[in-house]
Amino acid sequence: MQDNQAQAVVEKILHMHPGVREAAAVHDGHDGFVAFVVPDELLMDGISVRGTAGSTLLGKWQKTFDLSQLSKEAASAPVGFNTIGWNSSYTRQPIPAEEIKEWVENTVEDILLLSPTSVYEIGCGTGMLLMRIAPHCDRYVAVDFSPVVLSRLREQLRTVPSIAERVETMERRADNFDGLGENAFDTVVINSVAQYFPSVTYLTKVLENAIHIVRPGGHVYVGDVRNLPLLRAFAASIELFQSEDEIKAGELRDRIRRRVEREQELVLSPAYFLSLRQQIPKLSRVDIRPLRGRADNEMSRYRYEAILHVGQDAEASCEDEFLDWTERSYSLKEIRSILGENPNKRIGIKRIQNARIEKDLAALAVLRDADAELTVGGLRHGFEETSSKGIHPQDILDLEFQGLGFSVVLSWAACSPDGNYDACFVPAVLQQGVAMPAINWPEPEASEFVCTANAPGQGRLRKELIDHLAAHCSQNLPLEMVPRNFMLVDKLALTPGGEVDSRALLAARNASCWP
Amino acid sequence: MKGKAEIHEFVRELLTASGDDGPLADHDSLLLSGRLQSIDAVEIVVFLEENFGIDFAQIGFDRDQIDSIDAIYALVQSAATGN
Repeated sequence: MQDNQAQAVVEKILHMHPGVREAAAVHDGHDGFVAFVVPDELLMDGISVRGTAGSTLLGKWQKTFDLSQLSKEAASAPVGFNTIGWNSSYTRQPIPAEEIKEWVENTVEDILLLSPTSVYEIGCGTGMLLMRIAPHCDRYVAVDFSPVVLSRLREQLRTVPSIAERVETMERRADNFDGLGENAFDTVVINSVAQYFPSVTYLTKVLENAIHIVRPGGHVYVGDVRNLPLLRAFAASIELFQSEDEIKAGELRDRIRRRVEREQELVLSPAYFLSLRQQIPKLSRVDIRPLRGRADNEMSRYRYEAILHVGQDAEASCEDEFLDWTERSYSLKEIRSILGENPNKRIGIKRIQNARIEKDLAALAVLRDADAELTVGGLRHGFEETSSKGIHPQDILDLEFQGLGFSVVLSWAACSPDGNYDACFVPAVLQQGVAMPAINWPEPEASEFVCTANAPGQGRLRKELIDHLAAHCSQNLPLEMVPRNFMLVDKLALTPGGEVDSRALLAARNASCWP
Repeated sequence: MKGKAEIHEFVRELLTASGDDGPLADHDSLLLSGRLQSIDAVEIVVFLEENFGIDFAQIGFDRDQIDSIDAIYALVQSAATGN
C-alpha cells in the first residue's frame, strides 16, 4: 500500500473513535506513523475532573478563593491591597508586598494607557485594580464568582464613597454575560484570572462575549497570563530550586514531568490569542507583551499580557523590519547608538535573549541531556556559574526614559520557546499621540499553533483517551500501520493551500518531547 | 464519630491521585510542604464540612489548620467538643 493510502486508512480509523474530532496521521520517516488528534472538546470538558467531592475544577477554584478570604490576615488587609493567597511557587511563602505592589502598579499603568472610561472587570477579587482604575472611569462593573471575596470588596468600598459611587459589583461566573448589551463598555479587564478557567473552550467563550460587549476602538485586556511555551522551563526552575543536592538528574526530570502533567491552572501560548483573529471578526489586533518590572518573580519571568484591540484599528506600518539580536548580540550601548543614528525611524530588534530567564533555560537544556545518575548538586554548580549574556526586558524599556526620543514596546508574540523577546523603538515624532502604535511583530512558526493551551485537571482523562486510541488502532489496523505515538493537539496545522502541514506537526511533537 | 484512620485514608487518596506514593506520617506537612496544592485544600475542606460538620465560614480558615493529619484531627476534635 502507498504511504498516502495507508495514511488515509489510519486517519479513517482514528475518526471512527468517538473521542476524536479531527485527526491526521503523519509518517515520521523512521519508525512509522504519528497520530495527531484534536479531541472532542464537548466530551473532554463534559467529564468531571478528579475530585472526591465530585466538584468541577471551577467550583474548586471558587472555594479556594472563598477560603483565602476567611483568614484573620484577610480581614485586616489594607483597602485595595489584599495580597492573601499570593504565594511563591518557589518558596511557598507569600510573595513580598513590594513585589506585588510593583506588579499592580505596572498593570494599572498598562490598563490606563488604553484610556478606559467604562470598564467591565471579570474576576475583580478584592479590588486591587478596581481601587486604582475606577477613579479614572465613569462606570466600573466588577464581577467575581466568589461571594466571600465580593463581600470583602463591598466592605472596603463602603470606606471609599468617591469610588463606590461609580462601581457596581456582581456575583457571577466569568461566562455569564446576561443582560449586557453589545458595545456597552470600552474596556474589559481579565487580570490574573484566565489561569483559573477550567478549559480553553471556556476561555474562548468568555473572550467572544467580552469582545461583543466592547465597542469598536475599545480593548479586552487579559493580564498575568501564564506562558505555555515556557511551562517546562518554569517547572524546571521550581523543581531545581526545591531539590536537595543529592537528588539525581533522572529523578529531577521525573519531577519536572509530573509537575507539568499535574498542572491545575490553564496555561496559554501567545499563539492562542493570535489565532483568535481568525475566529472573531470584531477583533482587529492582538499585542502580546512580557510583564514589566524589576522584581524577580514568577509573574515577571513567566507571564505576559494580551491586549485585544476591538474593531477600528490603525493598519500596521508595512515598513517594520527587525534586526536579529542573535546575529550580533547587541549591547545596550550599541542599541542606544543605533537609535541615536536613526532619530526619525522605527527600529525593531527581534530575538533578544531574555536575561530574566536565561539561566532557567540554560539549566533546562543541560538537564535534558544530563546523565540520569548525576546529582543536582553537581549540575547546580554549573548552572550558577553561567554568565548572563542577554538583556533584561526592563533595561530595554528604560531606554524610553534616557532622552533618546523613542517610546519602547516589547512583544512575546513570536512564542519563542527560549523566552527571547522582540522590541520596537518608535520615534516620538512618528507616534503622534497614539499610545499603542500598530506594529508588524514577528509571528510564531506554524508549529506554535498546534498546542496553544494545556488541559488542567484532564491529565488522567487524556492519558486514558490515548490508551483507548492505541487499543482502537491495534484492533482495526495491521501492525505496521498502527501509530507509534499519539499526540493530542488543539489544532491541526495546515499549509496555506489547506493541506495538513506535516512538518509543523512533527516540529510540535519534537518540541513536546522530554526525556 | 469517624476518626483519624478515615482522615489518614482520605489524605492518602489525595496524595496518590497527585502521583505521590511516598510515606505519610500523621505529623507530615501537606500544604506548606507543597505535597498537596492549594486546590487540594478544597478537597480536605469539603471532606471536613461533609463528614464532620465543620463550618469554615464560622471558624475562619488558615492553611495551618489542615496542614497535617494531626492538625486536621485536632480541628475535628475541637469542633466535636464545641471549642
